[in-house]
Amino acid sequence: MYTALPILALSLFDQDVNDRWSFQYPQLYSPGQLNLYFSKKAFVRCMLHSAYSSLILFFIPWAAMHDTVRDDGKDIADYQSFALLAQTSLLVVVNTQLCLDTYYWTAVNQFFVWGSLAAYFAITFTMYSNGMFLIFTSSFPFMGTARNSLNQPNVWLTIFLSTLLCILPVVAIRFILLQIRPTINDKVRHKVRKEALPAPTPHRKPARRISTRKSGYAFSHSEGFGELVTSRRFLLKRPLKSRPVLFATTESPLAQNQPQHYRTITEEQDPSV
Amino acid sequence: MMASSYSAKDEDGHITVTGPGGAALRSKKPENTAFKQQRLPAWQPILTAGTVLPAFFIIGLIFIPIGIGLFVTSNNIREFEIDYTGVDESSPCFNCSQNFSWNSTQPCTCSIPFSLEQSYENNVFMYYGLSNFYQNHRRYVKSRDDSQLNGHLGSLKQPSKECEPYAKHENKPIAPCGAIANSMFNDTLELFYNDPNGTKVLIPLRATGIAWWTDKHVKFGNPGDGLNLTAEFQGTTKPVNWRKPVYELDSDPLNNGFINEDFIVWMRTAALPTFRKLYRIISRKDNMVPTLLRGNYTLEVVYNYPVRSFEGRKRMILSTISWMGGKNPFLGIAYITVGSVCFFLGVVLLIIHHKYGNRNNSADISN
Repeated sequence: MYTALPILALSLFDQDVNDRWSFQYPQLYSPGQLNLYFSKKAFVRCMLHSAYSSLILFFIPWAAMHDTVRDDGKDIADYQSFALLAQTSLLVVVNTQLCLDTYYWTAVNQFFVWGSLAAYFAITFTMYSNGMFLIFTSSFPFMGTARNSLNQPNVWLTIFLSTLLCILPVVAIRFILLQIRPTINDKVRHKVRKEALPAPTPHRKPARRISTRKSGYAFSHSEGFGELVTSRRFLLKRPLKSRPVLFATTESPLAQNQPQHYRTITEEQDPSV
Repeated sequence: MMASSYSAKDEDGHITVTGPGGAALRSKKPENTAFKQQRLPAWQPILTAGTVLPAFFIIGLIFIPIGIGLFVTSNNIREFEIDYTGVDESSPCFNCSQNFSWNSTQPCTCSIPFSLEQSYENNVFMYYGLSNFYQNHRRYVKSRDDSQLNGHLGSLKQPSKECEPYAKHENKPIAPCGAIANSMFNDTLELFYNDPNGTKVLIPLRATGIAWWTDKHVKFGNPGDGLNLTAEFQGTTKPVNWRKPVYELDSDPLNNGFINEDFIVWMRTAALPTFRKLYRIISRKDNMVPTLLRGNYTLEVVYNYPVRSFEGRKRMILSTISWMGGKNPFLGIAYITVGSVCFFLGVVLLIIHHKYGNRNNSADISN
């Protein structure tokens, strides 16, 4: 609940650059076609990143809680407080990483990210409140944990430390790659910052009846099934009864390998009806 | 022949196609709103040198002082630890650790002398620590009945299934049920100060105020109104490993029964196999006199709790407290390390930016 909505917002609303820039630089679509985002290398990179993050998110709270107590001497290294600390660190790290990955901050994104953090704390405090415990005793045994551990400066310093340890390597690596090997997306975004928006494509009544959907994310899938379909493997083996060809196409532009031009058709009332 | 009319499609509007019979069909084209066409007003941040490099330097500069502060605070905390398991033959508690049986009526006592190098100021906290004791084992953690511990009368006589096999003994329900309660720490520790002129002075230890307020007042509660506990617990029996039943844990009625603070502290299961739990508090006398003077002390132990069978260790810890809790140099060292690494990385990135940073600006966008 806390982590799904921000990612959903990211996938729906994120853009490299807006549509006009995407038209200007169709090379932005090439990384998608070259399968740069879903290769095995990308997957291994992702796995290494998550292995590193999970080690940080466990061992930093472990080392910080080892033989520690609260500032009034009472227990803090108990099972429930430790779990809460690890979970809170995780939430903060995930949301911060998401913020780093979002290149197009709309109001909806902001709402989802901050909203999910706020919802996490609201729900945690509700679940660990007196009322819930007294009503549903066996389901909410963590009563009092949030109140007693999240008021310790120790705990917040640990959360801050684990967040920074998870995020800083990512920022550093991205920055280094940006300097040494900028991708097309990075170069276009840099240009966007510097130059004005390119002029919109001249608006004319389309002679062709093609759909002109505006593009959002510069993303296109790898090559589709065109090759397969035109390879004639789907054609029947046995010969068909020969039928008279409906339209003799020897003189059409298609047969002569020229672009087609449609004209708008306005039909008149057929006088024979 | 069909009479159908087409209207020219324009870029921004809906089209209505009138089909046969005159019914109007809506087109499936999405509306041209900012939301659906992804033209929402937005902020587009990119990682430039102007934001990343100062951020690294600032984080480095913030972390190092915080780390130094934490490290210095941790070093100023005075802590003394003594292992009294009695593993060595020369240890005073060796005999107690060997001939141990649950059925012995005579509790074994041992006394261990130690000395404090520095005097301890302000409140001093006395902890007992256990090692190699896995209070975080899943089946152990679940072996409790929270509604029974809350004072629910129904659960008192019918403990939950989670407590099995520590739910009933000789056909009577166990109060409090479960493995956590059954394994409660029951050593008694007392502290004596050896005066320079030879007398042993008992140091007053406070047994209340050691558990969380929410635990003592909300989570745990005695059944009934808490006045006549012997009557309330009629029909139940004590846990198998306890010497005294739960309504005889303390003579103070506010610290008896389920709300006994030693019991509450034990029931808050620890996360790691090496842990410490608050046992007693030595309150400070006044601002002039240190709470514990430097000198020789004696620890008197009533050795009830067997740990040698699982290679566990018991220790007693005396510690002062600061705003960051007990003595834990890890956070201080970690902050100093991360701060310095961050600063160093900032310098490295600055060098890289200086050498390669212009590729973004001058390169054409080629295929």
